[in-house]
Amino acid sequence: MKDLKHMIYFEQLLEDANNELVRKAKGDGRLALGYTCFHVPEVLLNLGNCFSVRLRAPNMGSFDIATYYMANSACEYSRALLERAIEGNYNFLDALCGVDVCEPMNRSMENMELLKLHENHDKFFRCYLDIPYSDDEDCVQHLKEQVSRKILKPLNEVYGVDVSDGAIREAVKVFNKVCETVRAIGDFRKLDNPPITGSEFHKICLVSFVCPKDMILPYLEETLEEIKTREPDADKKYKARVGIVGSEIDDPSFIELVEESGALVVFDRFCYGSIPGRNQIILTDDEDALTQICRQNLKETECPRSCAYHKLDYRREHINELYHDYKADGVIYEQMKFCTYWSFERTLASHIMQEEYDMNVLSIDRPYIARSSGQLRTRVQAFVESIEFKKIKAKNMAKEK
Amino acid sequence: MYNPKTGKGMGQYYDKNHRAFKKREWKGFKDTFYEFGRWLKLYGYMAYKLGRHPILMVKAMLRYRWMISYLTAGNTIDKHTIGLYGKELRYTHEYFFTVVKNSIDNVLMFLERDKNLRPKSKKAAKLRETTVMFDEMIPKFIMAGFPTLQWMDIAMMTVGMPSEIDQFSNPTYIDTIEKFGLAADICPFPATEVGVAVANDYPIVGKTFITSTMPCDGSIGEISFMARLLKDIPKFQISPPQRFLEDEVQEYAVKNLKNAIKFIEDNYNVKWDWDAFWEKSEMFNQMSQCMLNKWDVNCTDYPQVCNGAMALYREYEFMGAGCLDPNFLKTDLKVDAMMKKGYEEDKKNDANKPKYRAIVWACPAHYYTQFSYWTTHCWGVKAMVDMECMLAHHFIHIGDKEKAMVDLAILYEKMMMRSHTNGGYVNSLDECWRMCEKFNANIVIMYDHVSCKNVGGLHGMFEDQARERGIHLIWVPHDLMDARTVSKREMREAFNKYMINVFREEPLDPTLVDYEDDLAW
Repeated sequence: MKDLKHMIYFEQLLEDANNELVRKAKGDGRLALGYTCFHVPEVLLNLGNCFSVRLRAPNMGSFDIATYYMANSACEYSRALLERAIEGNYNFLDALCGVDVCEPMNRSMENMELLKLHENHDKFFRCYLDIPYSDDEDCVQHLKEQVSRKILKPLNEVYGVDVSDGAIREAVKVFNKVCETVRAIGDFRKLDNPPITGSEFHKICLVSFVCPKDMILPYLEETLEEIKTREPDADKKYKARVGIVGSEIDDPSFIELVEESGALVVFDRFCYGSIPGRNQIILTDDEDALTQICRQNLKETECPRSCAYHKLDYRREHINELYHDYKADGVIYEQMKFCTYWSFERTLASHIMQEEYDMNVLSIDRPYIARSSGQLRTRVQAFVESIEFKKIKAKNMAKEK
Repeated sequence: MYNPKTGKGMGQYYDKNHRAFKKREWKGFKDTFYEFGRWLKLYGYMAYKLGRHPILMVKAMLRYRWMISYLTAGNTIDKHTIGLYGKELRYTHEYFFTVVKNSIDNVLMFLERDKNLRPKSKKAAKLRETTVMFDEMIPKFIMAGFPTLQWMDIAMMTVGMPSEIDQFSNPTYIDTIEKFGLAADICPFPATEVGVAVANDYPIVGKTFITSTMPCDGSIGEISFMARLLKDIPKFQISPPQRFLEDEVQEYAVKNLKNAIKFIEDNYNVKWDWDAFWEKSEMFNQMSQCMLNKWDVNCTDYPQVCNGAMALYREYEFMGAGCLDPNFLKTDLKVDAMMKKGYEEDKKNDANKPKYRAIVWACPAHYYTQFSYWTTHCWGVKAMVDMECMLAHHFIHIGDKEKAMVDLAILYEKMMMRSHTNGGYVNSLDECWRMCEKFNANIVIMYDHVSCKNVGGLHGMFEDQARERGIHLIWVPHDLMDARTVSKREMREAFNKYMINVFREEPLDPTLVDYEDDLAW
């Protein structure tokens, strides 16, 4: 396929947390609000002149200093962020919105606080949201209280940001445009021979998380138009269509590794992926926007930390739905090494999805930076081959009948 | 006690080829006779209670692997009392007997109810109709408001208690779940719990199951396994807020607790009984006061109830028995009086001052609950307090329904393994230094649970801040319930190295410095 016009630019933007668009926005006097987790309603970090930056640690080498502070049993993502923070890469932030959702991320941010990192000016603030475990109305009210007190109040009082219902609704409009565009691009993956690869889509999705929304939107819209007329290669390059489900992936090279092994990644149900990260927010006029945003956030989270019984079933049913919508041949359940939640979820789901939903499932754990993992490559190759064998077998059996 | 003339010390009781002690310790006529009496009392109670169901006992041992571990209960008391004499021996025996007695009562309840053992028994089915099954980290004290119902903690029975009396109890289940696919870095506690679920080794003793999101990420992960195992049983999750130091979160916590109460009311067709709740709350407050009294005494130069007796007793009083067993209060009051008398005696004689004063911090190894006794006997380092017993120690406002609900919520937000590891670093880090000051201790026996991502996440900060404060932080690695990762001997070795290299200390009992006990329960 012909290269996408902005792909190299997108890749450049992903090389640094403090990327070109972030620097430009900061140069314009705007406020950069860092966050890491889906449970922080992203749209609320994009009010007025604020913009959200979902934190990554691209090109991370060793994280020895972070390992000293957090021990080597903490997930590599949390350690990578701490290491990068110690290195000073997040000094451009005006606030850091954390969550007390998983132990390593919470401790990572607490270490940043104790080490007094990126407190470059008096107005810098940080918070830890207390996130409930279900999505009933008690939980919605709890999240609303947390967000109001810990994010909106300081934004208003410290930086003078308009946090009114009207301002929130305006932010939702821009947010929805980004989501609509990204999801429209992602929908091409449902085609038999898609004009976009999984790794290309992942990069497009990632830039929408780490750049100011209004500044990245024109590039995304132009890319969408380009894909509409992009001619896919005549011969399919892949042997199997797979979905990836699991914990945080902000490393495009992991998706590349999977696709180099003969698979095409057709859906991305992981943190930093588009499902549910790029779902639009549908607001009604009969209730304040904040409540609706909090409700949607809790309803749509796919993190195994959301452990109410109906959420356990919801996640499996949703994978089944995506599996069929995107015509997948298999699912890769992945977890970041040392991620407790996804270790439990991956273990159980890999049995259930195979035995009860009749899916092909590969269950893996992986390091934060996975590009050089020969072991992972071998496992994905073997998985793809096993799917191929099954297809050939099924075809032969159909012929015999 | 070490005899320099003969070179014999307490190390002589351990043997690499035996699980039990090689021989019993001679503690002089009075103490040995006292111990013999306690031994008779314990086994007499066991025979009286469990002797009623000999066939069920055999069936239970054949059906449940963890049940075998209960046979080592007597050894548990021995390993915590070896090297103790006089009043300290008596405090410890009083406490451990109460804990074991409560466990025996639970075993009896389980034998009478279990669906797996008695699938066709109408009597058992009837008993299950009025019994609530709990996971381990549950606010069991809510049962104070349901005096007509019974409850059982099926996780404590199958995982918690066996892990502390027999180091070989859990690894089988850990292997089971790791073969099933769970990563080996997961904390052995929830790993064992889901291993038991996969092996279908939980007893079914009640009509409903209540679990919780406490105390850590592993507990949350465990929920999905338990949901599948108990798919036909009504279930409820208690999910307290994480940042419990914030007043604002209590509204949500109380709503959640009230929903749990409603779940019980609906499923058992009963009503919350405030009168019964107040009555039990009185008992709870008295128990908490006794706990605080121990701390007060231990802050002085003449600490009385120290080490494992202090920690384990409170753990079982609150976590195991939910502060609902009157026997615990009886023992509390008895030991409280003994302790005060002992303190006065020691103060008068200026006796029994510890050589080194320490506090114990972070999650302890279940397979080595007597570790702080070893530090005392070998190096003279005595634990004044243990993080795990500093739980849920505030009082319930009796008579004020709204305040009492908030109290109840806070009690469970600050329960075992949660009080200090959740709610922000101040609870773990700042509180540690505060306790060093309060208990006048300059040593922290710092349990380094190698699979705990929570305390591990503050590892460097503990190091930095301990150095700044001149506190000796002695890291003792362990893997909570899996002694194959870090053995007891390796734990001792870590402590030895610090005492020898940093303190330049000589052991009080050289036979305890290094010995083999890999096979010991």
